[in-house]
Amino acid sequence: MLTRLTGGQLFDPAQGLNGTVQDLFIRDGVIISELDSGVAIDADYDVSGKIVMAGAVDIHSHIAGGNVNTARLLLPEQHRNYMARKLGHAFSTARWSTTETGYRYAQMGYTTVVEPAVLPANALDAHLQMADIPIIDTAGLAILGNDDFLLRLLRAKASQNQVNDYVAWTLQATRCLGLKVINAGGANAFKSNVRSFALDDVVPDYGVSSRQILQTLQRAACDIQLPHPVHVHCNNLGLPGNVDTAIATMEAAQGLPMHLAHIQFYGYGNEGGRGFSSAAAKLIDGFNQHRNITMDVGQVLFGQTVTISGDVIAQYSRRNDATPNKWVMWDAECEGSGGAVPYRYQQKSFVNSLQWLIGLEIFLLAEDPWRLFFTTDHPNGGPFTRYPHLIRLLMDYDFRLECMAELNQEAVAMSLLKELKKEFSLYEIAVMTRTAAARMLGLKDRGHLMPGAIADIAVYTPEADKEAMFSAADLVFKNGELAVKNGVVQQRRNGATQMIQLPFDRQIKRELQAYYDRFYNLSLDNFKVEDVSFRQADSERFVSHDAGQPYSACREAAANTIYQ
Amino acid sequence: MSALTFTLKLKPDQRVDMSPLVCHKLDGMQAAEIAALTLQNGKRKIRVDELFDIAGSDAQNIVIKNSFGKLDFIGKELDGGRITVEGDAGAYLGLGMKSGEIEVSGDVGIYAACEMKKGFLTINGNAGDFLGAALPGNKMGMKGGTVLVKGNVGERAGDHMRRGNILIEGNAGDYCGSRMTAGTIAVMGQTGKYLGFAMRRGTLLLWNQPQASARFNDCGAHTLAFLPILFASFKKFNSKFADGSAAFNRVQRYAGDMSEMGRGEVLVKIG
Repeated sequence: MLTRLTGGQLFDPAQGLNGTVQDLFIRDGVIISELDSGVAIDADYDVSGKIVMAGAVDIHSHIAGGNVNTARLLLPEQHRNYMARKLGHAFSTARWSTTETGYRYAQMGYTTVVEPAVLPANALDAHLQMADIPIIDTAGLAILGNDDFLLRLLRAKASQNQVNDYVAWTLQATRCLGLKVINAGGANAFKSNVRSFALDDVVPDYGVSSRQILQTLQRAACDIQLPHPVHVHCNNLGLPGNVDTAIATMEAAQGLPMHLAHIQFYGYGNEGGRGFSSAAAKLIDGFNQHRNITMDVGQVLFGQTVTISGDVIAQYSRRNDATPNKWVMWDAECEGSGGAVPYRYQQKSFVNSLQWLIGLEIFLLAEDPWRLFFTTDHPNGGPFTRYPHLIRLLMDYDFRLECMAELNQEAVAMSLLKELKKEFSLYEIAVMTRTAAARMLGLKDRGHLMPGAIADIAVYTPEADKEAMFSAADLVFKNGELAVKNGVVQQRRNGATQMIQLPFDRQIKRELQAYYDRFYNLSLDNFKVEDVSFRQADSERFVSHDAGQPYSACREAAANTIYQ
Repeated sequence: MSALTFTLKLKPDQRVDMSPLVCHKLDGMQAAEIAALTLQNGKRKIRVDELFDIAGSDAQNIVIKNSFGKLDFIGKELDGGRITVEGDAGAYLGLGMKSGEIEVSGDVGIYAACEMKKGFLTINGNAGDFLGAALPGNKMGMKGGTVLVKGNVGERAGDHMRRGNILIEGNAGDYCGSRMTAGTIAVMGQTGKYLGFAMRRGTLLLWNQPQASARFNDCGAHTLAFLPILFASFKKFNSKFADGSAAFNRVQRYAGDMSEMGRGEVLVKIG
């Protein structure tokens, strides 16, 4: 099967293509270089005048797993079972069902999405849900840092090698792509009635600090050659003045790669009459000094959503703000904790307005799309379906001013957003949502349009209104198959889940077997992801990627300064 | 003007969403326009005149004849006017009803009077589970108005109820008055298990002794002056509740649910 896209304007930062008109060839799901003349083309698409990009990659979006299901159960009013079924199949009116997740992402031109919080004990559930998400590829990040086994190792002053083996084993057993740390030690301390937990606080009974846990895991990620840097949800999320925590965490990274997630929630100062202010400038100052750090924003967008997180301390502290007034907190056996708290971000609210402003300030101040990524921490800051709105905010200064007029003016007066006239280019959007995102995850086969890449391609019609443009792609190809045409899904194909292949010492398996036998109600076999009846064979369901050097944004940026 | 009458011609296999056929939506519409309206029927749409013979013109007085248990959402958000159902009604009868009157001659399905705000609903047969309750996930059920049931009701009657009266001449199923925030439920017949489960405030008025619960405290026998006033307010209804011999003012009072706020009361007739 040979497919050709003719005459499109290519935006591919990997090749420095900034709107260059060039034909694109796909053979059997893979992008190939130009053909000799006379070869028969099976499918020819005229995309002249249109924008062609690689399929977008979302590095942080909660689309599967225990917390997601808890939120679905908690909020049946979000998915009343209306008789009219819009997509013509069961659960199609559910918010957000696996089907709708796959369809809505594909319609926007997204082809790979990472679920950033897979609790190892819940990995099977997460994978079953991901297997049910159509069209797009998925991947999970496994959570460690609050689990009793690791904290026992640290208490016993185990060697780094043992920790490395444990991390590698966990990623294999849970079939994940990377490592996530959520408020290291905090969820465990919560079980001892600790209600606030900072970087140098010590987990009761274990005698290890949050910093120690974080650094040990970061070291492990480097040692085992995880391409995606350790993905960190810092302490003190959402608290005024927590910018100091974010900066201290950057310091704690000691020059090694580290990714700080949904950093908007850490851009808070404690100045002003209400003790809540923007510290975006200070945060970005720290970010510029620490070139080893990457971040994603976690932009807040107005409207109803639900916050779901494994940071039980943060979730518990905001339970009284739940809108509607109901919430769930849970503790997992021997592992982390978490909670689901519904929330409505409101323009009239001083705090919510300032959160919105801080997120955009971070985007616009950073000026480095290779190190700063595009997220709303779906669904915590806002649902992923609003990404096109956020893209328009980044690309359109006048639209930002319009939106600012609707906000709480006390908050607007405290923000420097009006001064920030930068507008993102399509090229920068492609860096942020495609090339850099895929590279940071260690997914070499996507995020670009070079020969050899899997043919995940999105084609858009250029429009002044970028929200309309990115809401519905003209064409979306997934592995070379036409998945979306004129914003409408053409076929419900299966995606695959991306994982990492790592070696580890088999001894750790015996230790874990003994540990599970002693402390868990279920045997270790019950948690295994393998040999489960997924609809696809395991070989189709899972795609393994190689270990390698961690993503280093400064190196990537230097290699790409040739353009423009 | 004669009542706008819909006579069911055939019983469809799939359930029908009747919510477009309410007084305030049909007011001022021509017969042909009403006939051309579509109703959701399972996953298909069906024209009103495919399902019903239509007669009469007074949209403030709607009659549904030959009705059966798959006609859902009758009188949804009804805002004034009267709907008379001859036969049974399906689920969600009078959902979110704002004012007006509905009377059903037969039985009704689950979630009748769900989140009802005001008005008067009469059910001459039995009612299903979740009478006057909140939709799943919502925390406020019936907020006002009166529901009169001459037969029995299912489980969870008055779940999350906030205000208003539910009058039951027959028996009530398990969990009657569960999670009630306020309002009154009167039951002349028997009640099931877990009466007033997680009840916060509100009144359950009973003619028969309920099953004992550890979550309710016995507060002794009382003569309550408000009861004759309450019974007097029932005089206008065509019901056993209007009968003077049904009234009483001497009750045994139980307070609970003590695992909740504990300010709800169960009043049981003495003698």
